[in-house]
Amino acid sequence: MPTAAVTAGDGPETTAGREALRKLKSTDPPLYLCPSEDLSKAARLASEYLFSSLKPYTPKSPFSHLLVNGFDAEQIWQQIDLQTQPLISSLRRQVKKFEKNPEEIRNLFNLGEKDKKNDGNDVGTISNGDEKMENEEGFDEFEDEEMEGDDDDDEEEEEEEEEEEEGNAHEGKEEDGGGGGVEDNFLKIKELEEYLEEDEAREYGLKKEKKQGKRDQEDDNDKEGDDEDEDDDEDEEEEDDELGVMGVDVGEDDESGEELENARYEDFFGGKGKMGQKRKSKLLHGSDNLDMDGELSEESSDDEKNQSQKKQKLSTHEKELEKLHSTIEQMEKANLEPKTWTMQGEVTAAKRPKNSALEVDLDFEHNVRPAPVITEEVTASLEELIQKRILEGRFDDVQKPPTLPSRAPREVKELDENKSKKGLAEIYEEEYVQKSGLVSTAVSISDQQKKEAGMLFKELCLKLDALSHFHFTPKPVIEDLSIQANVPALAMEEIAPLAVSDAAMLAPEEVFTGKGDIKEDSELTQAERKRRRAKKKRKFKAVAAKRMANKVQHSSLQNRVDGNEES
Amino acid sequence: MLRRNVRLRREYLYRKNLEGKERLLYEKKRKIKQALEEGKPIPTELRNEEAALRQEIDLEDEYTAVPRSTIDDEYANATERDPKILLTTSRDPSAPLTQFVKELKFVFPNTQRMNRGGQVISEIIETCRAHDFTDVILVHEHRGVPDGLVISHLPFGPTAYFGLLNVVTRHDIKDKKAIGTMPEAYPHLILDNFSTKLGERTANILKHLLPVPKPDTKRIITFANQSDYISFRHHLYEKRGGPKSIELKEIGPRFELRLYQIKLGTMDQDEAQTEWVLRPYMNTSKKRKMIGD
Repeated sequence: MPTAAVTAGDGPETTAGREALRKLKSTDPPLYLCPSEDLSKAARLASEYLFSSLKPYTPKSPFSHLLVNGFDAEQIWQQIDLQTQPLISSLRRQVKKFEKNPEEIRNLFNLGEKDKKNDGNDVGTISNGDEKMENEEGFDEFEDEEMEGDDDDDEEEEEEEEEEEEGNAHEGKEEDGGGGGVEDNFLKIKELEEYLEEDEAREYGLKKEKKQGKRDQEDDNDKEGDDEDEDDDEDEEEEDDELGVMGVDVGEDDESGEELENARYEDFFGGKGKMGQKRKSKLLHGSDNLDMDGELSEESSDDEKNQSQKKQKLSTHEKELEKLHSTIEQMEKANLEPKTWTMQGEVTAAKRPKNSALEVDLDFEHNVRPAPVITEEVTASLEELIQKRILEGRFDDVQKPPTLPSRAPREVKELDENKSKKGLAEIYEEEYVQKSGLVSTAVSISDQQKKEAGMLFKELCLKLDALSHFHFTPKPVIEDLSIQANVPALAMEEIAPLAVSDAAMLAPEEVFTGKGDIKEDSELTQAERKRRRAKKKRKFKAVAAKRMANKVQHSSLQNRVDGNEES
Repeated sequence: MLRRNVRLRREYLYRKNLEGKERLLYEKKRKIKQALEEGKPIPTELRNEEAALRQEIDLEDEYTAVPRSTIDDEYANATERDPKILLTTSRDPSAPLTQFVKELKFVFPNTQRMNRGGQVISEIIETCRAHDFTDVILVHEHRGVPDGLVISHLPFGPTAYFGLLNVVTRHDIKDKKAIGTMPEAYPHLILDNFSTKLGERTANILKHLLPVPKPDTKRIITFANQSDYISFRHHLYEKRGGPKSIELKEIGPRFELRLYQIKLGTMDQDEAQTEWVLRPYMNTSKKRKMIGD
């Protein structure tokens, strides 16, 4: 594992750390799967070593050493994380910058003779570092797939951290070893400026590298001492104010300060020649503006000159309009073409490229509530509920049914202690009446209830039989003959109030049927009385005569018989 | 036997027919009772029938006062005897399924397990009816994981079809000493969050699988409903230490039940009426909670 940069460190510790790193690098990947003490120790050592070597480059790190003993993977990782997060972001920015402009490296480092060597080394180590990063990333993925078991987890996490750190260490060493006193603040401002300018260049298609360089220097002079945030804000404001017209290529250092100060309106909107020519050469970096591209392809310089002048005459509004037109044209073109398969309606597997459905994020509406995942909390809440119920004693058990009485409760005969209201004779009278059956009265209430119950049960049985027999004949209705005594109803009921009196049980016609004017004996006049007596006599006489006739007949018969006998 | 069955079925239908009228009567009686309690005059529409109804009210006891729905009439006499359950599987059960069924046999008291063999369902049900079983439980599986449970109450009772999820059997937990043996005392039962009518019906079906326990048993079975998924848990509890501390030890299998159908006949009656069936493809099915709240 080549470490080109020199890092200050304690002799024995660095060597131990390097040894550990070497060892880890040399072990086969599958060996990491089994928990092993050596690997774990080596990983810890390596992490410590890397941490302490990176310490000088991260001013904000709160730890002086990586605390490894007695800490678990999570905690170690947190410490490393604290250190590396700001480091990584700054390194990324640096790398981007270097990608754009490799010459910058030389300028930044400001090293005289060592330049070439260092550059060569740095470039070499940069490429090595890149490779290493790639290797490590590949390795990390491999490890991710194979993580199983607690012990394995710890170890592998540590190894991952350590590998990432190695990459970081490399990049850190390259840059910071050469740069010396480069501060974080400064780097960030520059980065932001460049980015903003580039962005605006892309937007509005104008590149002014001269202005850029001048502004850089001005900014440096003005803002070195301020806070980062303020700087950033101010940068942005400046950019916005000037509508990005200042937006230019990434810094070129051969611009002179005079041109920036002399930047006038004519330069942008009416300048003839000066700016236009210089700008022409920067147009090679391309833009969204089709006109510009058209310009580039033309051969005549005059034409270019003229058109570039026209270009400058366009205000921002016109530029925006041009951009809008170009987007409209693009969209119209897209509409004319056939749509992608995701935009078409029903697409079978044959109509789309292979495995393309895996790449697209398909969204289904699920109408079913998903099955519950039984987590610790769910179990805990269930157990709480159960405990509560047990404490209250509130169970939902099956209850024993209330048993119906199988036998009717015995009638408890109470001895009435009051003096009987009826005399003894009356009691005997009632008994006799009951026995003879002249008056049918219910003796006790329970009898009445029994009768009622009997009737109800008969009805019920009738209904049940109706349900259950195929051939069902109902019982014939017997009209019962009952003699109704012509006794007033009052005597039939015991408990009727006195005020109520029903009439006699027999209807008047049943008592007497007769016609005409019926008069009583006392009402008759003398003549009437005589008439009645005469009638009676006549009737009596008629009856007597008949009797006599019957007698004579009878006797004649007898005489004849006797006569027969006599003679 | 056949004629008896026919008569019983006809009785059931007749009673179901009367249910509407009974409900009316019940309403009238209730109004009269209310009026009497409050001391208000009886509503005019009931004046004619008031005397007869009042008599009936006096003669009522707690059994007859509440109108019985014919639907739950199936469990009217169930509380008088201890339930007797038969446990079987679908055909050709795998080894994990037989283990699970063995565990279930100990969970519900008074259960018998039977090998399925090649029996037809109607045969099973007829033999059970002949031997006076009260319930039949059938367990289905998918590649070793139990995934279906069918509980059928026997004298033409309702059949409930459940799906099983997240099944954890006692056999999964390798440490035998930690689990220990399963006690066989009659357990207490907790039914939580069965608040709708359908929920009450399901609670009834599940409740009558267990007999009447002694009040001091230490074994407790829980059916807790959460958004239509019923969790089954089986614990042993101990009152240790102070008055408010209960220690729960989980024994027995653990699974979630999901009801998807209730039919009003036994398993072998395919043409029986469905009381309720799950509708998962309805647009509002995500919002509806059919069993609890």
